[in-house]
Amino acid sequence: MLGIDEASLALLDNLQRRYIEALDRRDMEAWLDCFSQDADASYFCIAAENVERGLEIALMYDDCRARLTDRVTFISKVWTGTFQPYRMRHFVQRIGTPILDHGKLSVVSNFSIATTPEGGSSSLLAVGQYEDSVVLDRGELRFLRKRAVYDTTVLPRYIVYPF
Amino acid sequence: MRTNDALATSVPRAVDARLYHEPDVFAEEQRRIFRGPVWSYVALEAELEGPGAFKSTFVGDTPVVVTRDQEGALHAWVNRCAHKGALVCRAPRGRATDGSFVCVYHQWAYDAQGNLRGVPFRRGLKGVGGMAQDFDLAQHGLRKLRVANLCGMLFLSFDEKAPPLEQFLGEAMCYYIRRVFNRPIRVLGYARQNMRGNWKLYSENSRDGYHGGLLHLFYPTFGIYRPSQESAGEVDEVGFHSAFTVSKPSQTDGYENYQREANREMSGASAGAEMLRDPSVLTFRPEFDDNIALLIQSLFPSVVLQQIQNTLATRQIVTRGVAETELVWTYFGYADDDEAMTRHRIRNINLVGPAGYISMEDGEAVELCQQGTAGADGWSSFVEMGGTDVVPKVAPIGLDENAVRGFWTGYFALMKGAAEVLP
Repeated sequence: MLGIDEASLALLDNLQRRYIEALDRRDMEAWLDCFSQDADASYFCIAAENVERGLEIALMYDDCRARLTDRVTFISKVWTGTFQPYRMRHFVQRIGTPILDHGKLSVVSNFSIATTPEGGSSSLLAVGQYEDSVVLDRGELRFLRKRAVYDTTVLPRYIVYPF
Repeated sequence: MRTNDALATSVPRAVDARLYHEPDVFAEEQRRIFRGPVWSYVALEAELEGPGAFKSTFVGDTPVVVTRDQEGALHAWVNRCAHKGALVCRAPRGRATDGSFVCVYHQWAYDAQGNLRGVPFRRGLKGVGGMAQDFDLAQHGLRKLRVANLCGMLFLSFDEKAPPLEQFLGEAMCYYIRRVFNRPIRVLGYARQNMRGNWKLYSENSRDGYHGGLLHLFYPTFGIYRPSQESAGEVDEVGFHSAFTVSKPSQTDGYENYQREANREMSGASAGAEMLRDPSVLTFRPEFDDNIALLIQSLFPSVVLQQIQNTLATRQIVTRGVAETELVWTYFGYADDDEAMTRHRIRNINLVGPAGYISMEDGEAVELCQQGTAGADGWSSFVEMGGTDVVPKVAPIGLDENAVRGFWTGYFALMKGAAEVLP
């Protein structure tokens, strides 16, 4: 295992920025593009309450690339017109030192997501940590696995977009 | 008084909008319903493993705790110290290994049954202070509640007048509970969400078969449910509770046919499983003796028990305020599920929950109704789909609002003081 250099850190931070920009724009194709093409590319959004008790039930359980793609289909095609799109601003802060092991970078970041409904005031949607595994894919860093562990015991509303 | 106005002008097929908004109504519901002669779901027995196990939760807006004592018996009490009213139990769940529950404020100690066992400085110190000589521990216990256990679903009641649980639920509801809890279960996890709406809007929603294929676009898109499918809606003899069942298609009339018939045109894509890269999310592995692939059972006043394909869950309704409702999802499988089945249930989770492909929209519907009925003095809803009365059974579902009228029938009976309506 190795620490990583400044240039790699910059690339890693750039990936985090692309990710939160995609979600802030509610651009699900851009969200998908932050993940590796690997068939095992995965995204999990899970309550800290479950993680702490060793329970696997998640808010979103996309354990393969196909299900990542399907989530994009649901949000942008199946659910069209059903939900009122809500504005989000993601804030992300890398914590600890990223670790490089066998071509995979492991990195942990804190996140918070503020939301503002149409005609309403802003509030926190969720806070938590991203636990990411990042690989080089098509010349760029992309997520092989991303797990958003949210502290927010009671979510303030129903959820459409990934954290 | 305005509360009485809103109640007096309402009937099950036309409900005054003020019932969703007035704090007086909310306070009255807490007294007459949640602390009244009904049974409220609070936990699964599987959540209380071993002596000293406890879970703290709510009935309506009242904090309660369910415990298992050293002998294995279940008890429940209001989570409110007899001294100053502080919460005695602060953790959401756990094990009190010595079997005692101690209020942190002045260290009053209770046992799992809610009896007061000790009070610090009860005799004062060196003749100074302390409680009166006639202070009796037995007179200062926690408020004890009735507990009833049906196949591992635990219910509480505040009121001695509540009929026995099985009588309250009625035969049909007990049948479907026994069906789901036919063998030991294992809790797989939790999800919790707030809805900015009155609890009754969610209670109506879960009893409203009419919206199923219309709001939840998943159903028509993937052919999981269509109006011509074999389905039924049953209510108990009053109408408090409701059970919707939808059967899986027969061998000759598979989901593929349903999908081909899907009544929804998708923009730029054909509807059905071919839209998905991983259609396994739609897979149903039959695991009951019947063909029921979907069961939505709404038990008055506080829970929905669901089987959607292979996702099993309770959805507990916690009333946080007149316009705020928390929904607690407890997902489970069976203790004897093999690894593959457990994996399948966990993967099917994308269907249900606060972000579920077929449940997200219910939160939106509740909030829209709360927002739209604001300031609606003199306005009443129109709940006459499929008639104006309540019948024990309808088939198929989707074309009526029978169970919604049933809910209101039970609600008004309790709220207007006609307790003899109880079965």
